[in-house]
Amino acid sequence: MEANQALEGLPAPRGTMKTTFSEKCFTIFNYIFFILLGLTTLLPFVNLLAKSLSSESAVISGRVGLLPVGLQLETYQYVLQDSMFLNSLKVSIALTVVGTVCSLFLTTLTAYPLSKVRLRGRKGLLLIFVFTMLFSGGLIPTYLLMQNLNLVNSFPVLFLPAMVNVYNMLIIKNYFEGLPEELEESAKLDGAGNIRILASVMLPLSLPVLATIGLFFAVAFWNDYFSAMIYISDPAIKPMQLYLKELLVSSSGDFLKDNVDAAINTTPQSIQASSILLATIPILLVYPFLQKYFVKGVLVGSIKG
Amino acid sequence: MQLKIGPGPESARTIKPKPKRGYWSRLGLDIWKEWDLYLLLVPGILFILLFKYTPMYGISIAFKDFNIFSGFADSPWVGWKHFEKLFTSPDFAQVFKNTVIISFLKIVILFPLPIVIALMLNEMRNMIFKRTVQTVIYLPHFLSWVIVGGLFMDLLSTNGGIVNKALAGMGMEPIAFFLDNSVFRSVLITSAGWKETGWSTIVYLAAFTTIDPMLYEAAKMDGAGRWKQLWHITLPGIAPIIVLMFILRLGSVLEAGTEQILVMYNPVVYQVSDVIGTYVYRRGLGSQDYSFSTAVGLFEAVISFTLVIAGNAASRKYLQRGIW
Amino acid sequence: MIFKMKTSAVLTAILSFALVLSGCGGGGGTSEPSAVEPSGGTTNASSEGTNGGDNSGKPDLRMIMQYGLFDPKTEYVAKYIEERTGFHVDYELLPAENADEKLNLMVSSKENYDIAKLNAAQFYNLASAGALEPMDELLEAHGNYIKQSIKPESFASATIDGKIYGIPETGAGVSIGEELVVRQDWLDELGLSIPTNRDELYTVLKTIKEKKNVIPLTMSKDSIYGDIATTFGVYTDWKEVDGKLVHRAEQPEMKEYIAYMSKLYKEGLLDTETPLNTAQESIEKFSGGNAAMYKLAWWNAGSTIAALQKNFPEAKTSIIPYLKGPDGKAVVGAKANTTWYIGILKSSKNKEAAMDFLNAKLEPETFKGIALGQEGVHYEVKDDKYYPILPIFNDQLNNASSFMTGVDEEKYPIYWQARVRKDPVLQAHFEAFQKNAEGLIVVDPMSTAPPIEAVSKNLLKLTTLLDDNVLQFISGAKPIEQYDPFLAQWRAEGGADMVAAANEWFQSTK
Repeated sequence: MEANQALEGLPAPRGTMKTTFSEKCFTIFNYIFFILLGLTTLLPFVNLLAKSLSSESAVISGRVGLLPVGLQLETYQYVLQDSMFLNSLKVSIALTVVGTVCSLFLTTLTAYPLSKVRLRGRKGLLLIFVFTMLFSGGLIPTYLLMQNLNLVNSFPVLFLPAMVNVYNMLIIKNYFEGLPEELEESAKLDGAGNIRILASVMLPLSLPVLATIGLFFAVAFWNDYFSAMIYISDPAIKPMQLYLKELLVSSSGDFLKDNVDAAINTTPQSIQASSILLATIPILLVYPFLQKYFVKGVLVGSIKG
Repeated sequence: MQLKIGPGPESARTIKPKPKRGYWSRLGLDIWKEWDLYLLLVPGILFILLFKYTPMYGISIAFKDFNIFSGFADSPWVGWKHFEKLFTSPDFAQVFKNTVIISFLKIVILFPLPIVIALMLNEMRNMIFKRTVQTVIYLPHFLSWVIVGGLFMDLLSTNGGIVNKALAGMGMEPIAFFLDNSVFRSVLITSAGWKETGWSTIVYLAAFTTIDPMLYEAAKMDGAGRWKQLWHITLPGIAPIIVLMFILRLGSVLEAGTEQILVMYNPVVYQVSDVIGTYVYRRGLGSQDYSFSTAVGLFEAVISFTLVIAGNAASRKYLQRGIW
Repeated sequence: MIFKMKTSAVLTAILSFALVLSGCGGGGGTSEPSAVEPSGGTTNASSEGTNGGDNSGKPDLRMIMQYGLFDPKTEYVAKYIEERTGFHVDYELLPAENADEKLNLMVSSKENYDIAKLNAAQFYNLASAGALEPMDELLEAHGNYIKQSIKPESFASATIDGKIYGIPETGAGVSIGEELVVRQDWLDELGLSIPTNRDELYTVLKTIKEKKNVIPLTMSKDSIYGDIATTFGVYTDWKEVDGKLVHRAEQPEMKEYIAYMSKLYKEGLLDTETPLNTAQESIEKFSGGNAAMYKLAWWNAGSTIAALQKNFPEAKTSIIPYLKGPDGKAVVGAKANTTWYIGILKSSKNKEAAMDFLNAKLEPETFKGIALGQEGVHYEVKDDKYYPILPIFNDQLNNASSFMTGVDEEKYPIYWQARVRKDPVLQAHFEAFQKNAEGLIVVDPMSTAPPIEAVSKNLLKLTTLLDDNVLQFISGAKPIEQYDPFLAQWRAEGGADMVAAANEWFQSTK
């Protein structure tokens, strides 16, 4: 793709321009700032990792900082052999893949016509969409709807209702609006229809926003526990976050109050820590992979080409 | 240098001479001519009608004494009763004030932060460093509030918390951050910023890609330094998305972070941190009052919707662009 | 204006267009989901029915259970129950959070569940909404084992307007959960003896504060009464005073208790982070050697003491016997509430079968099997006490109590103790707490009350309101002079109704 020739560091002055003193200061400040910021965001994960590898006694008495105390690996052995954990992991992966692909498709489809000013009733339609971001019928009628559609306790209920996400749709629409009109016009002259223009002209230029929104969807599906909590009671289709949530909630003071039997069987904190890490790492790997689509100058040369 | 990045939606097309026809026939004609464009809309509209508008009748719960076991038809209408209950409850004024203050602080401080960070990241030359930083600073988004809350409690504890140790090292009095009405809101804002700023930069980072690199080249020819480029090219380049994000942010003004506050607050700081969401939660404990909570939700939605509409109108007037 | 009208016209048109579409082709967008059928009650079970042998003719049942971290399908106990009773049951767990909401949705949407295990508030809610079947006649006809196992007093707690709406499950009987535990090695070092009343307690805490520079007493925000409050006469939610029920919020002694604690707090004798502490954080301080005293629950004793001794091999702890009041007597408050109620849903199509099933589970041998497993496999008997065989007991019977639907009120407290004997430290604390409390226990007079509307509706909200305020008073966020205005608010928000309703019931029992 042509866009790749325009590399990411483009705003950098080339050759003749000299960096001024203030710019140098700025650069140094930048590095220091980001190193510090990065450390503060990284340390909690190091701490979780250390807890997950430490003996329960050390974790209980709060002695685990950044390094494991009383190193052990049994927690991971335990979690990775737990059939409920593994099953929920599978559900979550399936949900994230299927949900993201379907949602991205449908949301993009909806965003494109709405980015065209010539679309009649555009304002009204947008208002209809935005309205649903703020007003909702609430849980009860939605639950009854899902029941009527025979969706309660089924896998599709986890992504079908979320497939058109207005927030994400608006971001994509916003991006489409920023694409040069000449592209569409020249494609029309070549006799292409709207669908073909979208598929073969607009989408290839929209990889950054599609990657972004794809990430948003993936993370949302991965992190969602609420719809599963309401609609799913079959353990076979419980996603990871619900499992994790229940693991944590069932060890919390509120839950254990007046429930001695549950209190005797609380989950050790080291196992909680390792479950949190194992449930988070897969989705963390998505972003670095998507970063290659965040290419600057994606539009360079596209106008004439 | 005059720049106009991305045509505002309104400037897009010169108006064609209109034959004198009714709206419907013109719509019909448009659909006839560009049936494929309108076709693209159908699935999205169907989904939203089915999953969002079909259950909308549930809003009526706010005006009823709803009993889930009697169902919608058999629950009596009570008019504005639940709204009156909300507005007349003794703590409402304080709670509403807290909501607005916390939300306002969050918008003023935390809305620009990801933009600044994104701009700073954009200036980084070292690609490996840049990507690593991006990946690292968005990590906290994946931690739940329970974990983040616990973390901040540890850090800010008066019993061996690292911050108070540092303060002691500088010869200062320890601060009970979680128990002090004068600092607790800053704890809320800081932790929210720490958790979500990195994540929020992503959308701006994606927006940078749309800026035409030729503009920078041209600017350099004109002798513009990095500051000028940033101010005159980069910032206007991402202005549309900033405007969009801001208008959408207005939609959650009355959601000052219920989940976060529920995890982090305690009775000692209710005075400054009890917001609508947490208040309704505590008042509703054990009572299953669907009508009251729906009424509160509706109140919030109406205010938010008004703000979004007003924000959009203002943005169209002064910035010539908006959501619609 | 014109423009606006046009917009709305388009809106209407598109809405109606789409409504028509979605109306006739509603399945169009969503045709795939119907392929994944939820495991609906009766259809798929007949295929499984063959292996059990005798469950021909017995319908499959669906039961709603409270949350537990397990898959009921693979649980040993579920299989055991199916084997013994001949009923195949599909269990559905409520979520750990928002359980009430989910329960209401499940029940009100008229799905055909047969049985539900409910907590007191849920039970009252469903019963008063008419979602539960009155079971007097069913019990008469099909409930011989149930009536054998459960005392009439317990049934009173499940009786509303003269009808029984559920099988009450009292659990393991009255037991004491928490008692103050202190670092004995520090007391020895400072030449202090174990305090026996609150004045001595104050001196001990003060000395520890001066000499050791640790938190003398840590407390969790979730458990703010107990050993010290009892010395003021504040020991249960409800107390009988001059023939009337008084809620602890209204007891004048409450203010004295708050004043005492507030003094401890001000002087740094009580953990200044008390309003923040969860049990976990208090345990962290105690086992990490930062706190000298903590009101420990026996179920946390095993891990807490183990962690402490790992950190400080020389550390020793003692249990402080319940402190004596000014009259020289110690008192321990306890609840003897019905913990769970098992209801049969009105919408059930198999009410008699459901009752047969519940009854069969209380057949003595079957019940013992649910509680303890098999002798020699899951448990053994030593000195007339039941001991679990580990790890199989943990693996297979950890969640057994979730499956219970009523217990044998004589035997279960004895069976249940096998669960305490999984860990010697935990067992020692449990037994010591009970021994210390012997003869001192005062049971909350509301324990045997049936569900009362004004109480069920307000209890949780008002308890939270009270505890929040007590923490504010103790920590000095509010001056104690504000207690009366607070009490007025408490009464106005339902406290007055609740107290009146409770007393109405109380008088009727005399």
